[in-house]
Amino acid sequence: MNLVAMFARRVLVAGATLLMASVLLFAALRVLPGDPAAMPVLPADATAEEVEEVRRARGFDRSLPAEYAAWLGGVLSGDFGRSEHLGRPVAALLAEAVPATVELALVAMAIAAVLGLSGGVLLFVLRAEGGRAEGRAAISEIGTTLLLSVPEFLWAVLFILVFGVALEALPFTGRLDADVARPVVSGFLLLDTLLVGDVAAFLSAARHMVLPALALGVVVAPPVMRVLRAALVDVYRSDYIHQARLRGLSETRVLLGYALHNAALPMLPVLGVQFGFLVGGSLLVEVLFAYPGMGALMVGAVRNGDLPVIQGAGLVYCALVLTVGSLLGARLVPR
Amino acid sequence: MADISRRGLVGVLAAAGVPITAAAGAAAARLRDGARIGWPSDVPSWDPQFRFVPDAQPIYKMVFDQPLDQDARQALVPGLVTAWEMAADGLSLEVELRDGVVFHDGSPMTSADFRWSFLERIRAGHKVDTAHSWRKVVAIETPSATRAVMRFASPAPTAPAWLAFLGSFVVPKAYMERVGLDGFGAKPVGTGPYRLVDYQANARIVLECHEAYWGPRPSLRRITVEIIRDGAARVAAVQSGQVDLTVAVPVREVQRLDGMAALSAELNAITRVTLLQVRHDAGFADPNIRLAAHHAIDKVALSRVFTNEVGVPLSVPATPGTAGFLDGFTFPHDPNIAIELLARSGHSVAAPARIRMATTRGQFPGDYDMARAIVAMWRTVGIEAALEVIEFARYFALNRGNRLPEATLYSFDNATGDPEIGAGTLLNPLLPFSPWKDMALGQKVLDLVDAAGEPDEVARIAAWRAVTREAVETGACMPLLQSVQTVVRRKALSYRPYGNGWVLPQTMDWI
Repeated sequence: MNLVAMFARRVLVAGATLLMASVLLFAALRVLPGDPAAMPVLPADATAEEVEEVRRARGFDRSLPAEYAAWLGGVLSGDFGRSEHLGRPVAALLAEAVPATVELALVAMAIAAVLGLSGGVLLFVLRAEGGRAEGRAAISEIGTTLLLSVPEFLWAVLFILVFGVALEALPFTGRLDADVARPVVSGFLLLDTLLVGDVAAFLSAARHMVLPALALGVVVAPPVMRVLRAALVDVYRSDYIHQARLRGLSETRVLLGYALHNAALPMLPVLGVQFGFLVGGSLLVEVLFAYPGMGALMVGAVRNGDLPVIQGAGLVYCALVLTVGSLLGARLVPR
Repeated sequence: MADISRRGLVGVLAAAGVPITAAAGAAAARLRDGARIGWPSDVPSWDPQFRFVPDAQPIYKMVFDQPLDQDARQALVPGLVTAWEMAADGLSLEVELRDGVVFHDGSPMTSADFRWSFLERIRAGHKVDTAHSWRKVVAIETPSATRAVMRFASPAPTAPAWLAFLGSFVVPKAYMERVGLDGFGAKPVGTGPYRLVDYQANARIVLECHEAYWGPRPSLRRITVEIIRDGAARVAAVQSGQVDLTVAVPVREVQRLDGMAALSAELNAITRVTLLQVRHDAGFADPNIRLAAHHAIDKVALSRVFTNEVGVPLSVPATPGTAGFLDGFTFPHDPNIAIELLARSGHSVAAPARIRMATTRGQFPGDYDMARAIVAMWRTVGIEAALEVIEFARYFALNRGNRLPEATLYSFDNATGDPEIGAGTLLNPLLPFSPWKDMALGQKVLDLVDAAGEPDEVARIAAWRAVTREAVETGACMPLLQSVQTVVRRKALSYRPYGNGWVLPQTMDWI
């Protein structure tokens, strides 16, 4: 299959998945008990007639398929509707929140890759070989299992308590210190601070990013470590590794110069799959760190019963996960 | 291989640059001419008339001013209006506006802005909540730049109270017309003591002192409001010094935080009322069951456990010191009366009356735990309640769809203390907000709303008090406690507590 055909197939599959997700999202929100027209878009002393007026104006009196078709038509033309609670276009809210979450996710992925790479090598080095070093291998196995078992929000709480409260080493609320002005260019704060040449703001943003990104990255790293370890074990059975050893190269050079290069490739699709979990996990982590991304937007929308925002944010989540999963899972790994 | 594990790995890990040591030196540097506030929610919009959100009121009051204000004990005091007089028939209200007030853009505030805020923009079709509170306004005459006369379609004795209540802020007519609603939302302009200099939704609000403010200049020149939704995160933030003051922390944390050297933590009773919203039908159609449910609730115990005895147990849906409060009236806690009432309807612990109950979780301090305690109290007398947790938004959806269960735990805010705004909203059968639809009591409420022009203020209040008492005695309303507000701050930061729950940075100072 040539590249163009593969790309087209991927796009079709992603499109179909997105469409199904949108149907599920829309239907699930409408079948929940309660009246969407009676959500808090009106004050407490609104009359029954005013509720009915909202129902007609919002199109809630139409059939479900007709309502869905109208919503989907709007989305396809870039109109995600208007937030019932905030009174602003959903697209504008998403445009503010998405860069923050993507930036956080990218930093978290970088941390996960670094931890996964170094941890994978560590696991490989500590692996049991013919009955030797079984204790170390068991300890490393328990270590990765522990990392896997603790959810990101618990890591978040732990990091806040240790690095934020006990050591007072790192900030854990928002994206900038109170006395630092926020440059607004692209919404990607690290990038924006560099674009305007504000080093102090960059350092402040970077420090605020450490703990939430670490909380997300730590959870994503263990599967990467395990895949890398398995790949290294596999690669070490190859002839070229034997040849390298026979040539008298040091074990460090064999590992870092020869084996790691090939063994690292299977990490990419794993990172792609893990990105979905990472973005999903960012919901709670963003709330805990008061980080103004998609998570904060989504949680606020759920609390306020803001259907247009929930639908729009849910769809963007799906699109993000599909895009990154496809990129890392297919495009970067020639198979 | 062993060599790799010792030397090589050090190199790999060093290259990886494990980011634990990323930075040192926390962001705890306090700004002596400013303060950082940890607040649990964002403003829904920078149009202060758009939505009635009690938690947003203190933020709005930094940027905008109200015609009338409230002092710390909820008495009406001058704001942008320096003098006001309600006509004897309740059909008009004459106000004298403060002279020399300017908006943040330098333009003067006049009666044209007052007229725009409370009449013209509503007629222009702006979807603002104030369209409801000011629906009786038919005209606002502006004989001069500092005088205005509001005229009402029917008597509006609560108009002065509304001028100091939710949403009633003065916004600039010319600026709003020039930039439009979206433009105003992006860059709001008010007359308040602070002007907005940076806003990132769901994250932070940065405000700086309004140099030309008409009132006392705030001591703190720069205020940064960090939006921190999670209660535990707010506790951590104030404990670590990342914010200087925060509110709505769990009640159980107050004592611990107050014991810390640098912090002061307080529980303040405020004008919100924690109550049970009650249906008149389904499992509560029988008055014996409703009254038994009310008699079975030990409000003193609820106050002790959930508010450290700060929240006053209530028998009417109004707090002490407000006009709707009934001195000397007590609805007794007596499980024996509850058992007797239930027995009359054929119920007992062995054959309990079955109802459903709803509660939010985390909407106000201790809500879910309080609901569970009530369910346990009911079980001991013969009422079995199935407890359901709902989101705050779902509460509105179910309520307006008339689908709330028999009892719902709710915190009702009526900072004005006026019983017409309190009981008149809670028990009005024509409003979707009220789950009580029985017209025997409902008609009496409607009669009072219609006859709001009672010229004698004492008689008007007395009539509302009588209806409120009847509602409680017939089981149409089950008030529980005065709600409490938790405030944690650095000891050196002073603030003025308000009975209505406002926490205003313009009253703060470092001492």
